[in-house]
Formats: sequence, C-alpha cells, structure tokens
Amino acid sequence: MPRFFSNKRLILLLVGVIILVALISFSLKDRQNASLPEQVVKDVVGFGQSLFSKPALYITNVIGNIDGILNTYEENKHLKVRLSEYASGQAELADVKAENERLLEVVGKKDDLRVYEPVQATVISRNPDQWEEKIIIDKGEEHGIKKNMAVITANGLVGKVVLVTPFTSTVELLSTENRNLRVAAVVAGEKTYGLIEGYDRKRSELIMKRIDSSFEVKVGQKVITSGLGGIFPKGLLIGEVTEVSTDDYGLTKLAYIRPAADFSLLDHVIITKRSSITDVNGTDGNDTTNTEGEDGS
Amino acid sequence: MIRSIIPLIAVLLFFLEPVFSLFSPVNIGGTSYTLVPRFVVVYLIFIAVYYSRQRAIIYGIVLGLLYDMYHIDIIGLYAFLYPLICFIATLIIRQIHRHIVTVMFLALLLIIVLEVLSYFFASLVSLTSIGLDEFITGRLIPTIIANSIFVGMFGWFFKTLIYKRVVERQGETL
Repeated sequence: MPRFFSNKRLILLLVGVIILVALISFSLKDRQNASLPEQVVKDVVGFGQSLFSKPALYITNVIGNIDGILNTYEENKHLKVRLSEYASGQAELADVKAENERLLEVVGKKDDLRVYEPVQATVISRNPDQWEEKIIIDKGEEHGIKKNMAVITANGLVGKVVLVTPFTSTVELLSTENRNLRVAAVVAGEKTYGLIEGYDRKRSELIMKRIDSSFEVKVGQKVITSGLGGIFPKGLLIGEVTEVSTDDYGLTKLAYIRPAADFSLLDHVIITKRSSITDVNGTDGNDTTNTEGEDGS
Repeated sequence: MIRSIIPLIAVLLFFLEPVFSLFSPVNIGGTSYTLVPRFVVVYLIFIAVYYSRQRAIIYGIVLGLLYDMYHIDIIGLYAFLYPLICFIATLIIRQIHRHIVTVMFLALLLIIVLEVLSYFFASLVSLTSIGLDEFITGRLIPTIIANSIFVGMFGWFFKTLIYKRVVERQGETL
C-alpha cells in the first residue's frame, strides 16, 4: 500500500479544504453583491475576455452575413409582399403616437412606464459550466447600469441584470431555473396580468403563473412586460401564448409562453434604463421573499 | 522558447472557454444539448502527467479561483475541483504507461469525474433540478463528445510543447 500523504501534506490538505468550504458557504450567502476583490477580478478578467470574445463574435457575424446573402432572393420575395402592409401600418402608428402624445398632454401625465433609455452592450462570455443561465456583458456601473434592469434583444426580453461591477455586469437569462427571477407580465391589449415565473426545459417555454381565472387567455396572444413590477419598462415583448391550463391548485390560470427572443448565441443586447423607477424591490426584483407566501394560495 | 509559454497557454484556454460556451446549448431535433468546454482542465491534466504535479496544482488553484470569481460567484468550487483532478491524474498515471493515447483517455475520464462532481454540487445547492438521466443524455455525453474532439486535436500538441519545456529546463539546471 503506497503512502499518498506525508503528515505535513495531510494537514495542509485539511486546512485547504476547510478554507474552501468556508469560502463556498460565505459566497453562497450573498451572491447579489460583489465584494471589492471580486469586482476587481471581474473587471480585469472581463477586459481580457472581451479581447477574445469580440473578434470571435465578429467572425460569427461575417459567417452569418454570408449565410444571409445566400438567402437574399427568397427573403426579398417575402419582404416585398409585406412592404405595402408595412407602409400603411407605419402611417397608422405615427397617427396613433401623435394622438397619444396629445392626450397625455391634456391629462397632464408626465411619467410613462414605457419610456426607457437604451444602452447597447456586447456579450463577452457565457458561464462555461452552464448550471446557471448567465451571461456577462461589457457595460457596468460606469455606463449607468444598475441591478435588476431589464435586458432585451431586438426580438424581445431575454433577462435581467443580477450583478454589477464598474465595467461589467452579469445578466441572468429568463431560461434560468431560478424561481426568484420573476417578471410582471400582461397579455398585450388586455388587462390579464400575471407573473413570468419559471422555465420548462423540455418544452423550452416560459411559464406565466397567477393569471386570474376570470380572464380569458387565448393561444397565440402576445405577452409583454406590464411595468407594474416597478423596474422593467412597460411593453417589452416576452413571447406568445402556446397553451393555457390551470395551476396545481386549480385556482389561477397558467400559460406556457414561447419566448420571442432566442437565448442561445446572444451577441448584442440592450439594457433598458427606465426613466421612472418607483420601487427598487418590486416584483421584478430579487428581494421578493415576502411574496413567497402567495405560492400556497 | 520563452519561459512562460506554459502558463500563457493555460490563460489563453481560460479565456477561450467562455467564447465557445457562447455557442451552447446546441439545438438538434427539438432537444437542446449542453456542451461544456473543459479546455483548461484537459491542459492541467497534461501538465500534471508530463511536467510536474506541483505546478499543475498551483495553476489549478489560481485559474479555478479566477473561474469561480468571474463566472459562477461561488468562490472555492473550481479552486478545489481543478487541483483535485490534477491530483487524481498523477495517482492514476503512476499505475499506467504514459502513452499519448492513454493520457487522452485519462483526460476524458477525468472530465466525466469533474462533470459528475459539479453536477452533484449544483444539485446540492439547488442551482439545477434536472434528473440524473437528463444530465447524462443532455449534458454529459455531448460534453464528452465535444471535448474528445478538442483532446484529439490538441493533445499531441500539448505533449510536444510540454516535453520541449521539460528538456529546456533540464538544460538550464545542468
């Protein structure tokens, strides 16, 4: 039987294990805020990381462009059909916008939940051990990013900021298993409010819970953020309803929502800085432990 | 050859891992497969086998700590797993022949060990709720296939590189 350890090494190993376990439990406790050394490491590594990620993203974009050119003819045919539709839609939208502005002025309402300031950011890395759906972007506190801000792509909502350091921030995607990532949502054009809570991995669809059972939800309706969570702006597209059923207790409705945005291969995202933030600890935020009791209702 | 080529490549691989994970999860036929790039640990295993155990463990602690702080915000997980994997690698390599093919298989075997350990940890702190069968089909097997391509492509390169450095170092001490 060979001797693996000398006594000195054994002690060193044990001390090491104890320190690591202490570190793990220490960092598990408070994962919402980064301590100073963590921030420094994140910024320095993030800078190095962006040197590698940006060229890689550039190359994938070039490949994507070539792919796009190959499909040009088909797409052009398809788009020409939509063009006339678009022109009339555009005219109508301008008219409605002007009308809305005038009416808002009449009412004297200044704050609008819809208004936000977009901040463009590049994704520099995705968590390599993909137990958590997290990406890191190259904008941070210095660029005005704050915790809990909504992150979108051109297609729709993808997630929210969970951790901010001076020059990077970590975004948790909606496809996470973390039950604390909630988004106040509403069916577009109606008053059917609910919460996006959880993700079905098998169906790759989001689950919208706590919809009042007196409301009718139809398959194919669009779901947007309601802005009532306090942090997210109103009117960001989340997805489309694919199935409606009742929840485990049969008291409220539950809808499966196919997300509008694609959560894989993210390269450029937009962070939305809402102009009127009412409550930093709203439903969209993380500190929702006090609403946990509603689960049993 | 410059002295610091071996740690430089380790840092390079550390930065390349998250770039490759941007392409994951891969969606084939409606089911998504998660590919986890484990380039750093493969390289550390090669260092541990061909160069020195002590260096592999030191690099493992440093890179693991950076990995923990930058990516997963749980300090100490990979800072413990990376050196552990290097240690197991040196224990096994004493019993078998140091042929390049056996080292490649050893690297793949240890990736499985690392994946399983990280799965147990993730379910322990409830980062994930997937079952064991889903873990094996949706994550472990695709990861092994993807990493075996990497090991096949770069294993020989790592070996020659590390050998060159070892020879160089022997020349220095003489």
